Amino acid sequence: MSNLTSATTEAISLLFAGDKELWGIIGISFRVSTTAILLSVIPALATAFLLAYINFPGRRFLISLFSSLLSVPAVVVGLTLYLVLSRHGPLGEWRLLFTQTAMVFGQMALCFPILVAMSHAALQSTDKRAWETARTLGAGVIRTIFTVLREVRFGLFAALLAAYGRIIAEVGASMMLGGNILNHTRNIPTAIALETSKGEFAQGIALGMVLLMLAFTLNFMLQHFQGKEGLVE
Amino acid sequence: MSAQKIQLALSGVQKRFGNRLVLENAALELTGGECKLLCGENGAGKTTLLRIAAGLEKPDKGNINTGLGDVSWRRCRKTLQEKIVYLHQQPYLFDGSVMHNLKFALSGKKMNKKESAHRALQWAGLEELEHHAARTLSGGEKQRVALARAWLRNPAVMLLDEPTANMDAPARLRALELLQQLKQEGLALLIATHDPVQFRNLVDSCLTLKNGKIFKEKDVHYTDGSVVSIHQFIQ
Repeated sequence: MSNLTSATTEAISLLFAGDKELWGIIGISFRVSTTAILLSVIPALATAFLLAYINFPGRRFLISLFSSLLSVPAVVVGLTLYLVLSRHGPLGEWRLLFTQTAMVFGQMALCFPILVAMSHAALQSTDKRAWETARTLGAGVIRTIFTVLREVRFGLFAALLAAYGRIIAEVGASMMLGGNILNHTRNIPTAIALETSKGEFAQGIALGMVLLMLAFTLNFMLQHFQGKEGLVE
Repeated sequence: MSAQKIQLALSGVQKRFGNRLVLENAALELTGGECKLLCGENGAGKTTLLRIAAGLEKPDKGNINTGLGDVSWRRCRKTLQEKIVYLHQQPYLFDGSVMHNLKFALSGKKMNKKESAHRALQWAGLEELEHHAARTLSGGEKQRVALARAWLRNPAVMLLDEPTANMDAPARLRALELLQQLKQEGLALLIATHDPVQFRNLVDSCLTLKNGKIFKEKDVHYTDGSVVSIHQFIQ
């Protein structure tokens, strides 16, 4: 118990003292995950829209595929991309393995199916009349799409949070594709795994606190964003 | 807007859902300032016909004339969406205030949106609901907001699917008053209903959709089983 207390005290002092190594790790984590989300969100929304509104051969298969990909372990995604990006892999010439770019690819592969599946579910739940009403009131296709997206904005925001939460906390893909190199590819989850294996808990606890703070902040933001409309009266 | 001008004419419209032929060689004509009822049992194809006329559903066959001669549905779809407003049986109001919904109909138009929206609120007697969340309104209020929103588009034709369904008597009267105003302003109205009686003071003629075809009615059948001629009905 006293070990835990002293490690926690040390963790808090590391955070507030602005420990360069610790904040460097936090910076890499946020940079990689935010880039991955930003690069994924528009293609994922477009895919979800196509799956929800356009009838084409293979649509049902794709919906099932994206739902199935939700449960693929991060380490399997990491392994697959490792084989693709490794020196003898099809994209080995790009020399991306153990770089932040490789980590972004890994996290994109993880968040894309979440964004597609959850956005698709949100769009599926919209009333078809929303689209038709916008059209009959003279809106063009682009404006109608934005109108429908606005109608399901809470569902889309929840998808964004779920995807961000998943990638910023995943270990497997980041470890395999980034290599956990200090000041280069070491992010919060890989650092926690490393420090814990060494028996150094203070840094791990400090980074864990950052992840918890992030989770709480994002969820409070969602609640605030939804306002009273998210409540059942 | 000329009261005699043909605003919308459909001819030879055919629509099939799977093996079921819903519309077969259906035709109708609407002129400005005219109100027609489209009667028929549930599932007769009234909504499908309205959706085709509004440019929301593609027919298998058929021509449409919006004043520029007979053209295929695909070619005049954009004109249909510019000229015609379709109101669902239960109108859809966007998430937001009544004002937000009214302003939606004005986007792309160069005018003082707030002033125009206030005129629409006044027109529909909804001034006190300006800042209310649209989704918290009653069925009758929603219908009036939808009518005011459609009115702001300044369409030539309005297609209404059971516009007074599930309304109590005062709400129905208020909605009928607004429809009467629209007609007096020169709009062509086509109202799909399975209960024509409530529109007796509004309609000029009554059409029936049966087995995919449209017939001009000589008689009107009341829901209690009694029958009157269309002339007596309108009188």
